[in-house]
Amino acid sequence: MDAVAPARPALSPPPSLSRRLHEWGLLLGVVLAIVGFVVGWGIGSVAIAFTQGKDNSLGSDAGILLGYALSTVGFLAGMGFLNYPIGRLLGRPRPSEEDNAYLHGEGGGLSKYFRMTTDHKVIGMQYLVMILAFLFLGGLGAMFIRSELLTPAPSVATAESYLTLVGLHSTLMIFMASTAIIGPFGNYFVPIMIGSRNMAFPRLEALTFWLLPPAGIILLSTVFLGGFATGWTGYAPLSNENVAGMDSYLVGFGLIGLSIALSGLNMIATIFTKRAPGMSLTKMPIFVWSVLVTSFLGLLAAPALIGAVLMETIDRSYQTTFFVPAGGGSPYLWENLFWFFGHPEVYIFIVPAFGLIMEMLPVFTRRPLWGYRVGVGGMVGVGLLSFMVWQHHLFTSGIAPALRPFYMFSTEMISVPTGIIFLVALGTMWRAQVRFTIPMLFIFAFFFNFLIGGFTGVFLSDVPSDFTLHASYFVQAHFHYTIMGSEVFALMGGIVYYLPKMTGITMDTRWLKFQFWAVFLTFNGTFLSLVAVGILGMPRRVISYAAYLQPLNVSASLFAFGLGASMSLFLGILIWKAIFQRVPAAANPWESLGIEWQLPTPVPVFNFDAVPTSWSLPYDYDTGKPAAQIISVAPALSGA
Amino acid sequence: MGNRATSIRALIATWFILAVAGDIGLALAPMPPGQASNAASDESFVIKLLAVIAWPVFSAVLAGLFFTLVINHRTPPQGEVSSAELRGNPRVQTIWIASTLVIVLSLAVYGTIALAQDQPGGGISTVSAPLANPTSTDQPLEVQVIAQQWWFTYRYPSYGGIETAQLVLPVNQKIQFHVTSLDVTHAFWFYALGVKADAVPLNDNVFTVTPTQIGTFRVQCGELCGLWHGNMADNTAMVVSPSDFAAWIQQQTALDAPVMKFLPPYSHTYVPSPPIYAG
Repeated sequence: MDAVAPARPALSPPPSLSRRLHEWGLLLGVVLAIVGFVVGWGIGSVAIAFTQGKDNSLGSDAGILLGYALSTVGFLAGMGFLNYPIGRLLGRPRPSEEDNAYLHGEGGGLSKYFRMTTDHKVIGMQYLVMILAFLFLGGLGAMFIRSELLTPAPSVATAESYLTLVGLHSTLMIFMASTAIIGPFGNYFVPIMIGSRNMAFPRLEALTFWLLPPAGIILLSTVFLGGFATGWTGYAPLSNENVAGMDSYLVGFGLIGLSIALSGLNMIATIFTKRAPGMSLTKMPIFVWSVLVTSFLGLLAAPALIGAVLMETIDRSYQTTFFVPAGGGSPYLWENLFWFFGHPEVYIFIVPAFGLIMEMLPVFTRRPLWGYRVGVGGMVGVGLLSFMVWQHHLFTSGIAPALRPFYMFSTEMISVPTGIIFLVALGTMWRAQVRFTIPMLFIFAFFFNFLIGGFTGVFLSDVPSDFTLHASYFVQAHFHYTIMGSEVFALMGGIVYYLPKMTGITMDTRWLKFQFWAVFLTFNGTFLSLVAVGILGMPRRVISYAAYLQPLNVSASLFAFGLGASMSLFLGILIWKAIFQRVPAAANPWESLGIEWQLPTPVPVFNFDAVPTSWSLPYDYDTGKPAAQIISVAPALSGA
Repeated sequence: MGNRATSIRALIATWFILAVAGDIGLALAPMPPGQASNAASDESFVIKLLAVIAWPVFSAVLAGLFFTLVINHRTPPQGEVSSAELRGNPRVQTIWIASTLVIVLSLAVYGTIALAQDQPGGGISTVSAPLANPTSTDQPLEVQVIAQQWWFTYRYPSYGGIETAQLVLPVNQKIQFHVTSLDVTHAFWFYALGVKADAVPLNDNVFTVTPTQIGTFRVQCGELCGLWHGNMADNTAMVVSPSDFAAWIQQQTALDAPVMKFLPPYSHTYVPSPPIYAG
């Protein structure tokens, strides 16, 4: 039931060339990606042979890097991203209304999820499936890592395969976490929440998604090129001496950086320019605020990463020496650029989770959001501070000891705005009749886990305690508490909460209650064990460790297997409910006042057939006033 | 309402007992990394201090969550609450923000003063030449740590620049580690002494520490440095009495004598040669 579908003339004209190209986009994309790789590999290899006279030039990094780059361009061209700009450059007529409607995902059932689409709702669903795939693959990697660490000496893996697994697990999870909330829920709901019919730059939005599959495949292809032994931080000069598997990391991460920056640009433009009349900044749902803050972080931080990986790619292919000390470069340059991106990056993970949690909280407490303005201020404060703390990753590195007090101060300051998020939560729940639904359980777990994540962070921000805890499993447990325990828990709660809107089905079952307690307990079992392991001095990313650490490692591994099983149970329930046992959801199962729940399900292609009016914050559960009025002017248009 | 007030009072009492009992436990418990050096004692003290400050705040927030989610659920609220009160309370917000700010600022001020007074950690060396053999325990004994894939070697410039594969230190003597690397970034992590300093090629990272306990300890690499990073560990680092140290140095000097001419002259950094390129 695609809503805006006025009766078409019985004899529609034959589909245009542009539309045919879009129909075959995925296949064309794969073909052009292969062609692009071969061409790039050839050009790069010949060029390096020509300029450097190398004998084994057909295996050179220049060839592989250029191959990856051109295969990405080829894939995107095949998907149809160049059709419009090339058409405009050649002065061809603008695409017809019908072509545009097709591009926007009108008609075509499931197939629209497998092609370039400019409908933000389709893109949100594409993101959801993609990040769940990344999450599953990364989780498999974690299971292998924990199996290996059952014994103090190498057992199931070799040193090489172990480090490749560590690198793949971490990088895939970073890919996943960068867009886990913003990708599905930001793309799907931000335009709706601000009363817009689409994003500011719909083609750009499609591009930010379609950069992810090439990035993931390029990253995974590292296993054919010998893997990379640097973890997700890719420190130079270790990355300079790595085999060709490093190139996969660099290109994959560069593409993710590009996607983050472009998505940020698009979201900022959308939120600033596409709000419906009457939707002022002070009436924006708090989730939209969190997306706005995150978008600024992405737009300003990701270019540092893109610059760093570009420098490293030419270090590796053309022997520049940005990061090679003997050639006048500096390993610190990589560390600074990487963490200038890397620290805002962790707030790119968590701020949308703050927003999503605070968006859901009033629905289940049946109370207005307590302290909306300080909550927004808290997220803006986190965003501002996040650019001033990156050298706390370098306390032991030997640079700038005089600056350590400043970075200690700025890092500790972050606990003030994050503390505000707890204040808002406590204020909203205070004296309320809480509805203990599945999403509410995940909200509770979010605050519990983030509390531990935050307090472990305090120990890392203080310089003397950091000398003991830095680079140990304590750090690992800390960021798993914030990313997995908080962001991924918010993601699971968000999926249960928004699935009825996004797909029209519900996954709410008693099994999920069991799944929640299983995932909550095994998560804490795993990472509390790892907090202890870290305090006792186990370094990260090791395949061998001191024998006295074995009992705690076994405990962490056993809990981790339970965690893997309960995460798989979530995916299993989701797939079961989405494919085999589709239970239609109520129109507004949580009785939310949010505008997204006032629209029909599935949401019409252009969201609104009339501009929503008389906006207010969607949290007036004391008066029951909905977020906005949607007065349909022409019911005939929206009906079937 | 009486029921609720009783629950709140009971909750605050429970929290107070938990906070005090927990803090006493934390204050008495031994904290990592132990007391084997002045730096380790400092770090252990800071970890303890942070834990003692953090625990009551942590348990208060947990108690708040517990109250709102569990006790409240059993005793439904009665009476109307004004609509403004449901949307925020400037006084509570100000108190909350001010109190977190005070805690954070006092932590930062304390940390800064502690760092300024006694900077155990490192930084790029400003020492131009190796120091002479220290004449007192306050004068630092320079020990160079050279990291490479995948082991550490040590040089003692005060004793003719001899190079050893084992780290031996005299107890109660101020030690100045000069950490550098020959290839990629490593980190010299002497857990028991509370020493962690990244080893970066062509950089001299200095960490000053005074070991205070005799014993055999573990040294390991703390920064991912390639395939055998996990095995870049050594369980035989020793802190010994000054007389044992003198005997050991003599023995090592004799062992090293025939090969000294092959060693590069002592320097704070060494150019890795040839530079490593990929591809």
